[in-house]
Amino acid sequence: MNAYAGVRQSRIPYFAMVYGLLILTSLILLSPLLFSLSLALQGPTISPSLLPPDLSKLDWGIFLSVFQDEPLIARWILNSFVVATGVTLGVIFTSSLFAYALAYFNFPGKTLLLFVALGSLMIPFEATLIANYLLIAEWKWMNTYQGLILPFVASGFGIFLMRQYFLTLPRELYDAAMVDGCNRFRYLWLVLVPLSRPAIATLAVYTFLNTWNQFYWPLLITNTNEWRTTQVGITIFRSFEGGAVFNTQMAATLIVMLPTLLLLILGQRQLVSGLTSGALKG
Amino acid sequence: MQDDLHISASLPAAPSSSASTNTVHLRALRRWWVRPRTRDLFIALLYCSPALLVFGLFTYLPFFRAVFLSLNVTNQAGQAVAFNGLAYYLRILNLDGSGRTEYLNSIGTSFGFMLMVVPPVTVISLGLALLSTVKVRGIQIFRTIFTGSIAISLASAGVIWSLLYNPATKATAWLVDLLQIPTPSLLGYGPAAIPAVAAMTVWSGIGFNFILALAGIQAIPHDLYETASIDGAGRWARFRHITLPLLSPTLLFLVIIGSIGSLQAFTQFHLLMPDAPNTVFVYLTYRAFWYDNRYGLAAAMSIVLFAILVALTILQYRTLDRRVHYH
Repeated sequence: MNAYAGVRQSRIPYFAMVYGLLILTSLILLSPLLFSLSLALQGPTISPSLLPPDLSKLDWGIFLSVFQDEPLIARWILNSFVVATGVTLGVIFTSSLFAYALAYFNFPGKTLLLFVALGSLMIPFEATLIANYLLIAEWKWMNTYQGLILPFVASGFGIFLMRQYFLTLPRELYDAAMVDGCNRFRYLWLVLVPLSRPAIATLAVYTFLNTWNQFYWPLLITNTNEWRTTQVGITIFRSFEGGAVFNTQMAATLIVMLPTLLLLILGQRQLVSGLTSGALKG
Repeated sequence: MQDDLHISASLPAAPSSSASTNTVHLRALRRWWVRPRTRDLFIALLYCSPALLVFGLFTYLPFFRAVFLSLNVTNQAGQAVAFNGLAYYLRILNLDGSGRTEYLNSIGTSFGFMLMVVPPVTVISLGLALLSTVKVRGIQIFRTIFTGSIAISLASAGVIWSLLYNPATKATAWLVDLLQIPTPSLLGYGPAAIPAVAAMTVWSGIGFNFILALAGIQAIPHDLYETASIDGAGRWARFRHITLPLLSPTLLFLVIIGSIGSLQAFTQFHLLMPDAPNTVFVYLTYRAFWYDNRYGLAAAMSIVLFAILVALTILQYRTLDRRVHYH
């Protein structure tokens, strides 16, 4: 009993140190966010302080009034939702079909198809950007959802991820279904896709997050304010407000961060398995 | 299997003599079609066609079009008007005798930026990952905080950090005083601006690097540590001889991805220092393309970037891979 108490006592400084370190590093990492929250709550001042000078007069209403100050924020959020959802559904659809053919069919040129899919990962976005911009401009797809969505609805990463997952599912199931007269298309959508929910969830969270956070492409192919996405919107907002109204600017930035923060907290497991599938298995 | 039935049913049952050659063709066609490998090829191509169409239209064709544009002088609409050979490439690499070093300088700036981002973000994230392997109550909350920056876009981070560096908020005034910088903002002074952008990029990259480092550490078999402890290995020895070697594939991946990502950095430069004369290569490409409408030159710059990224990836893989310990 005595010895046990002794162990416990000696561990208290250790725990204090660990918690101290954890809290300190957390505060440092969170400080830019706390700073932006502090600016948002201070009201329309041109010389804000780091911490709100009067904690009893915090302007929480800013998170609602910012929608009146900048009526387009709602439209930007809608645009981002449509684009991120469209890209996510498209990537899941094209990747499942492609990966299904790679994993289950036996045909000449299979390796070549895999190379075409993975080769797309070798070409950086910047190297295709200018020609893609010209293409979208020629097709008169500036300021349209198709211009924001379609270039991204195929993903070498998604194909690879789905293929690896399909290969872990028992082949006997496929053969049995074929003997029972199920056709291949029905097998994919009625058996394989429901069985692959973990991989699809991973791909969905990963794709949605990346698309929501896109900046360069929407900046180029939207040029009217109502077609901006959230990421471009908050920076345009910054420039035409002249950078002087810190509170609305910070409130808008924090609002457009919410969907991805929520996704991170709810879909953390899927996200981590998506990220690590590139690092550990790749 | 059902496809077979469909095909045989559609064949003519009793052909007249005049149509017999036709029937032979159909039979040959049928024999060819029922060979499972050919039929699978067509069905596979059908299944792959949506993705192939997108890859073709928006990745491969634009890439070859960029190569084509880079060899031509273009007009304001981005159409090639005169063949230019390798002139743009020679200009970028300062091999044409014009003495214009701005492109090479900005490649140097890009590499400098990379060195300011990748080592700190890897070391900090590894430290945080080691810290968050402790078994204490509530560790999951801290892990979520450390992961948090994954969810914060570069654009949001850029807007927030532009205010951190804005003299009106006085948030970084102490740093300006400490470093005795002649301008009111870190971003206004050449030698301080790139490190300031790098600091923002490190902050932004910690979440991704942390979560991968943590996953890598957690994948290390636990009994290795127990055996080492029994043999008398201390905390440092266990880190040095177990964690670090077994984590090296993850660290290699993080260094390669981080290097590629930091050489491609655009958003933070667009938001924090859009008018700075000394900027990174990707941002210089954007200016050539977007403000000057020099599509041919900008295309050549983007192909140079592609070559740099491929070469860097191969080089890093070759040199670091030898030191990497795979399970």
